[in-house]
Amino acid sequence: MELAKKLIKVAVNGESRELWIKQNITLLDLLRDYLGLTGAKLACISNSCGACTVIVDDMAVKSCSVLAMQVDGKEVFTVEGLAKDNKLHPLQQAFIEHVAFQCGFCTPGKLMSAKALLDENPNPTEEELRRDMEGNLCRCTGYKKYIEAIMDVAQHPEKYSAKEG
Amino acid sequence: MADYRVVGKGIPRKDSIEKITGQAKYTFDIVLPEMLHAKILRSLHAHAKIVNIDTSEAEKLPGVKAVITGKDTWGMRFGFVDTPRYPCEQPVIAEDKVRFIGESVAAIAAVDENTANEALDLIQIEYEPIPAVFDPEEAMKEGAPQIHGEQIPAPGRKCAWQDWGVARVARSYNPVNNIGATVNLSYGDSEKGFAEAEYIREDTWVVPRTSHAAMEPHGAVASYNPLTGYLDVWLSHMGYELKRYWISKTLGIPISKIRVHKTFIGGAFGGKAQVFDHEIIASFLSRKTGKPVKLILTRDEVFTSTNNSIALKINVKKGVKKDGTIVGQHVKLISDMGAYRGSVPVCLFLCHSMRDAIYNIPNLTHEGVGAYTNKSTTMAKRGHGSQQMTTAIESQMDWIAEDLGLDPVEFRLKNLRQKGDVLPNRDTLNSYGLPDCIKKIVEASNWKEKRGKLGPGRGIGLAVSAMFNGSGYWPFTAGSIVRMNHDGTVTLYMGQAEFGQGPTTTTCQLVAEELGLNVEDVNLVDGDSELCPLDYSNFLSGGMFVSCKAGLVAAQDLRQQILKVAAEMLEEDVEDLETMNRRVYIKTDPEEGVAFDEILRYSIQKHAGDLLMGKGFCKPVPEIEFYPSLSKGSGRWTDAYSFTASIAEVSVDAETGRTKVDHIWIGDDCGREINTAICEGQLQSQAVMGMGDALFEEVMFSEGRTINANFVDYEIPRAFDIPEITTIDASDPDPNGPFGAKEIGECARAAVIGSIVNAVYDATKVKITSLPLHPEKIFRGLEEKAKS
Amino acid sequence: MREFEYLRVNTLKEACSLLSEYKEEAKILAGGQSLLTLLKMDMLRPSYLIDIKFIPELNYMDFDEKEGLKMGALTTHRAVEKSPLLKEKFPVLPETELVVASVQTRNWGTIGGTLVHADPIGDIAPTLIVLDSKAKFTSVNGERTISLTELFVDFFATVIEEDEILCEIQIPTLPAHTGVAYQKFSTIEAGIKIAGAASLISLEDGICKDAKIALSAVAPVPIRALKAEEMLRGKPVDDKLIEQAAQIASTEADPVTDMHATDEYRGELVKVLVRRATKTALERAKTT
Repeated sequence: MELAKKLIKVAVNGESRELWIKQNITLLDLLRDYLGLTGAKLACISNSCGACTVIVDDMAVKSCSVLAMQVDGKEVFTVEGLAKDNKLHPLQQAFIEHVAFQCGFCTPGKLMSAKALLDENPNPTEEELRRDMEGNLCRCTGYKKYIEAIMDVAQHPEKYSAKEG
Repeated sequence: MADYRVVGKGIPRKDSIEKITGQAKYTFDIVLPEMLHAKILRSLHAHAKIVNIDTSEAEKLPGVKAVITGKDTWGMRFGFVDTPRYPCEQPVIAEDKVRFIGESVAAIAAVDENTANEALDLIQIEYEPIPAVFDPEEAMKEGAPQIHGEQIPAPGRKCAWQDWGVARVARSYNPVNNIGATVNLSYGDSEKGFAEAEYIREDTWVVPRTSHAAMEPHGAVASYNPLTGYLDVWLSHMGYELKRYWISKTLGIPISKIRVHKTFIGGAFGGKAQVFDHEIIASFLSRKTGKPVKLILTRDEVFTSTNNSIALKINVKKGVKKDGTIVGQHVKLISDMGAYRGSVPVCLFLCHSMRDAIYNIPNLTHEGVGAYTNKSTTMAKRGHGSQQMTTAIESQMDWIAEDLGLDPVEFRLKNLRQKGDVLPNRDTLNSYGLPDCIKKIVEASNWKEKRGKLGPGRGIGLAVSAMFNGSGYWPFTAGSIVRMNHDGTVTLYMGQAEFGQGPTTTTCQLVAEELGLNVEDVNLVDGDSELCPLDYSNFLSGGMFVSCKAGLVAAQDLRQQILKVAAEMLEEDVEDLETMNRRVYIKTDPEEGVAFDEILRYSIQKHAGDLLMGKGFCKPVPEIEFYPSLSKGSGRWTDAYSFTASIAEVSVDAETGRTKVDHIWIGDDCGREINTAICEGQLQSQAVMGMGDALFEEVMFSEGRTINANFVDYEIPRAFDIPEITTIDASDPDPNGPFGAKEIGECARAAVIGSIVNAVYDATKVKITSLPLHPEKIFRGLEEKAKS
Repeated sequence: MREFEYLRVNTLKEACSLLSEYKEEAKILAGGQSLLTLLKMDMLRPSYLIDIKFIPELNYMDFDEKEGLKMGALTTHRAVEKSPLLKEKFPVLPETELVVASVQTRNWGTIGGTLVHADPIGDIAPTLIVLDSKAKFTSVNGERTISLTELFVDFFATVIEEDEILCEIQIPTLPAHTGVAYQKFSTIEAGIKIAGAASLISLEDGICKDAKIALSAVAPVPIRALKAEEMLRGKPVDDKLIEQAAQIASTEADPVTDMHATDEYRGELVKVLVRRATKTALERAKTT
């Protein structure tokens, strides 16, 4: 017998949403299946890869390991909410200019992790950054260009003030 | 080096906006109306007869729309290799027996994933386990369990090679002693070579299976329309032609009615080239239910049930003169093939051919066998034999140099082939940048000041590798169209699969360069088998050399058409005209000219509607009709080789055996870097991936069960571990490459692995002949060394 | 995941009451970083999930020079990692957190959740053990406090009763001249831990007044290397003594052979890690 759905109120990318959801779904399921926001991905089932990373109340979390019910009353940001008013976020611009990504599957997770990190610590050392990005696996790039792009945004914010998308 | 406008620049990727906004759609993301979700039930036994399957309870579960077993797909066979000699032998769903843990035994399509999973639990299967064998050498002994009976092609069935034009009838194959593949080729006389040698060394290496570990799990969405007979599929793949061929072959749907839609693909590295049972199953279920079916594998299924990289035991015997001249080599391979052939028959051959462009070895024997074992299949991974062989050969080169008191760099340089050499198989080395690759990184890394001088626990090592650039494989062509648009921009049609390696961007650069356009003015239609022409595929190292080149040829064709019309309009000769920025102008009077859109309108009006479309095609190795014999290895193979030299510097913690890679230098000959940023990314990628192979990656089994089928227990490199990486372009343009360009995506990984292995030896002087060099192995080696 | 009834509570009292009602049919949900993986793998099938993550009264860090630190069980790993208070008073804790899982896991996962999950390769447990931490439980029947060493009984098993909730971790103030260090060994930096050791050295007049050594991933639970501690206590600590202690500690471990390492190798690693952790602890003791 299927249990009743429950109502949650959650702000997603700045928009308030009221949703009736199944109780046994993850935040990732909520974003992808209920809201059609397919940027966050699933590359593992062992809470290891970080491809599902989104931001909840200013914190980067792995949405595959957060029960959707727990974001009731919270603010969620996904990659789809990064660009504002047709302007790409500095990290998005930097990733493009540095040609930081290849297949792109891990890219949304990386963007959200990097955004949360820089919002909290605008001037990380490269060692701090590489350690803090450990939760985001990548198989294509070898990470180097991602790290360079994020450091570039941290060290030269004036280069990346919001530009037209 | 010539200076081009657009070629040779590190411009942003064409797929940038989709990928950084989360809009890019992968197979993983596809949602269709009324779509069902499918799951596969997998064997828990390594080797067992299927006595009975009862699906009745599963069929009754509300929400289940179809349940299929081997009874439904009886007789359907697929494989990467399907030749007159080796008929494909893998059933789509296991029929009378299972041969590895993880093999498909049933499949369910249901309204959602939870229901499908629940239904799997309701399927009752009665197995009769039979003795299994997991080691290839055990498998080849008399009395070992026979994994396959005689492989008899179905009456009237043509094998793939026959369908593709080889006029030889498929024979039955009897895998005596579980031997499913062999190779035996030789040039000169290796015994004579050894007799002439002044020093002989023999070493045996074991390289295990690793996982490709692409971030996007394998999967398929299939949508069959019963009214039209059309099948639409979305796949995570490396080239749509092979998939269309096999889905058509197994399901009897005409190939022209199978459309592979464009998807972005989340990494491949060779692991997504073949057709998979789950792709055929998804298509079958869609046809059965009349609804779209989505079947995405979970990560553990990717580990256990798709494929691993090829495991090899490699025995290398080498004879040299005291001055280091190589006079003979004999290689013997044993491959732990798994339950079905995978790509092992090809790899056994490639183990020779990937190396043959490097050293001049006058007397050479190369032999190998692939033995069936009760494990999952194995497949090409980014180099396909190159990295296994490079590990064995390049480490031995260092040990020979050490034994004879030779400098390891000079020893290699002495034996290198030369530009212009014709190989024993009659391939010609029209470009050969390897000496330059070596010299540049020796200099950049300060090799001479470091080798033998770094102090305890630190080491530096060098290795070299080579890679082909496409060979004769179906469909033997890549096609491209470049057409003029109303506003003077162009649209490029190219079928290549984009899984991160960037062919869409680089081909646009080639087209833009040829037509004098900005890259923004080259629009793109890619990756769709209905909208794009025949495509060569991207698992044969021919992306740049064959497929991108077709795009360039199409642009060249269009350019000629444009110039001819412009010449008519301007009343000038074609030779006096040039293109730039959507315009044709007179070289001697640049103010005079006509815009592309004007040219288009003129052409349409005056030339009976000629709307200016450039057509281009490229055949890999035009003069051969087919791939050389896998077992004999003779005949022309490829038109160009790429080369890499790598140096690695490492620190080994003697107390724990843990190795840190401090720095990797890569010198690469890719002919010409069309996009410097993409090329750098490919080399950095291979540096890090190679580090994983060398130091810790291994798929582990226990009685046929994959025990580390997840990213916790199977570790891949993470951001903190990456070393310093210096990439150096040492390209030698190839006359047959587009602007001289050759492949860059697969060559370096092997050289990196070899250089790390050699660096660790330099640091520890412990001879280890198996990968990975994980800390415990090194610790034990150091311990033994200290005792003796 | 199978179906369950999700119940969010706002007070500890509510949580205890529900847990007492549903007992083994319910599971406590805090960060869920371990729990959700188990639910997705179908290894647990609770009918109720009691979500305590947002109970304000369980999320705090209070320090008193006499009483020491009292930390609510819902303190996240990330809060521990970033806490200026802890960096000052118990720097080994933020330092250890740097190698715990990933930032994303640390942002949402809690100290209490990790301790109750009792993974034998957990990083935070050995460090808390050498700090002489205590764990406080609450239920409808009252409270009890135990030493953290007594918390773990087997891998993934603790002494927690089915109606109890772990609510607080207590760490006594460190005496002057005390240094603490944690050493983790994995093949790659963020990789699975093969062995770990935490060490605490307290000095008085140059003599080791107290030593505590805890080992993890080399037994079903984190263990104290009591003989090694004994060897150090009451003596002037030098390299030679540390080496002896490290050798002894290795004999107290009970490692297994698994896909990642043999028991022998783990035993060898214990020697190295105890030596390194103890040396660092000693140096820190001298400078505090």
